[in-house]
Amino acid sequence: MASPRIIMKLTVTAARKEPGDVLVIDLKHPRKPVLPAFEAGSHVDVHLPEGKVRQYSLCGDPTELGRYTIAVKRENDGRGGSAWIHETIAVGSTLPVSAPRNHFALKPGEGPTLLLAGGIGITPILAMARALTRQAKPFELHYFTRSRALTPLLAAIGSDLPGGNVRIHFDDEPQTRQNIAALLANRSDDAQTYYCGPPGFMAVVGRAAQHWPEGTVHFETFQPPEFDGAPPEPFVIELAEGRVVEVSAETTALAALRAAGVPLMASCENGVCGTCECAMLAGQPIHRDAVLSKEARGHRFIPCVSRATGVLKLDL
Amino acid sequence: MTWRGKLLHVHIAPAASYEMEELAQAQLIAGQGIVGDRYYLGTGTYSARPDVREVTLIEAEVLDAIAQGEPRIPGFKAKLAPEDHRRNLTTRGVPLSHLVGKRFRVGETILRAARMNVPCKYIEELLGLPGLYEGLLNRSGLNCTIEVGGVIRPGDLILPIDE
Repeated sequence: MASPRIIMKLTVTAARKEPGDVLVIDLKHPRKPVLPAFEAGSHVDVHLPEGKVRQYSLCGDPTELGRYTIAVKRENDGRGGSAWIHETIAVGSTLPVSAPRNHFALKPGEGPTLLLAGGIGITPILAMARALTRQAKPFELHYFTRSRALTPLLAAIGSDLPGGNVRIHFDDEPQTRQNIAALLANRSDDAQTYYCGPPGFMAVVGRAAQHWPEGTVHFETFQPPEFDGAPPEPFVIELAEGRVVEVSAETTALAALRAAGVPLMASCENGVCGTCECAMLAGQPIHRDAVLSKEARGHRFIPCVSRATGVLKLDL
Repeated sequence: MTWRGKLLHVHIAPAASYEMEELAQAQLIAGQGIVGDRYYLGTGTYSARPDVREVTLIEAEVLDAIAQGEPRIPGFKAKLAPEDHRRNLTTRGVPLSHLVGKRFRVGETILRAARMNVPCKYIEELLGLPGLYEGLLNRSGLNCTIEVGGVIRPGDLILPIDE
């Protein structure tokens, strides 16, 4: 099981609307001056009413120990979490927020770093740019958005990052456009790329970076990858103790395990947060999460979304 | 031997993994728990596994020892604040491990000690303190049922009933 994280009822100390229907929220602890530390790329779980949990990247400066900053884009076609936040949260509100977790950490090293952000995907990338600026390491940030009038966090980028490292590309300002494939065409030996953005952007960058060696291209998605659409089929989980849990086509492995009395923590139940991760001993998994690395797929399993063929043996 | 102890702190958490919150007074409901606490509300980590967790207690003396570096566990150094240990009541001067099966008073309430608390790896991971599990072995407090409910406050006396 992935580590549980403490949930704190944090106080909203600032909430400002930014272009693109984005609400930037500062959070502080009501009693403690210092929050659990985070590194660039980290996200927190925000706990909403009715048990909903949403992940948001921390876009502030990791060296600011007493404050978390998140930027919430209102997704009117979403599952309702961002709309609730936009309608409800104001200065003085209390928001239950987990301690941060990082699936998208900067690798150590002195080589050049290429940071690519599409739209609201700027949030973890901005924290990375802040960290690299502070460490005086070479980086280039490319921020792709539709238009200047819909671009959040421009003021923070302008004031907090060295201008020479930042290029902003607006779809509707042709002179600012940049071909992503051209940006990734030539890789210097020790370069690393990090990217985050909406699905179309992720696909374009993923294709453009195919020739980069494994371990040099890093991304984070807050939406699970698209699937083949194959209907779910029943399978069987065998627990370490030998007990067998049937997972019907209509339920998830997580729900079946819980119904069988196996206590499992879970958060997003969408395959992106990693909270319900467990160790896999044998079997043929059908991984449908967006969190396990290629290497981890050989021995880990995310039961909220992933399935299997036949019998899957888990270390539970 | 008799003893006479004191209630130092009362903490509750509204749900599993939530930070503990200190209360200036707490309402204990017989047979159920502390109003607002995860085990009263049925939202605790172990709520699905029935056991006695209406109220949990830990000795301040244990926290003092941990802060002083006892027990000596390689790589383990911690200071556990009363809001970190995730027990409801922090006591001083109460021999918790002597009380299993016995009744005692906390202020106007009466508790019955069901069993010694067993530490969990969960808290070690939650707090990011490796070694804490071993550090709390055999002294992570007491799980109790509430026989007579009422209101308790820090400073209340804790007194034996069944000697």
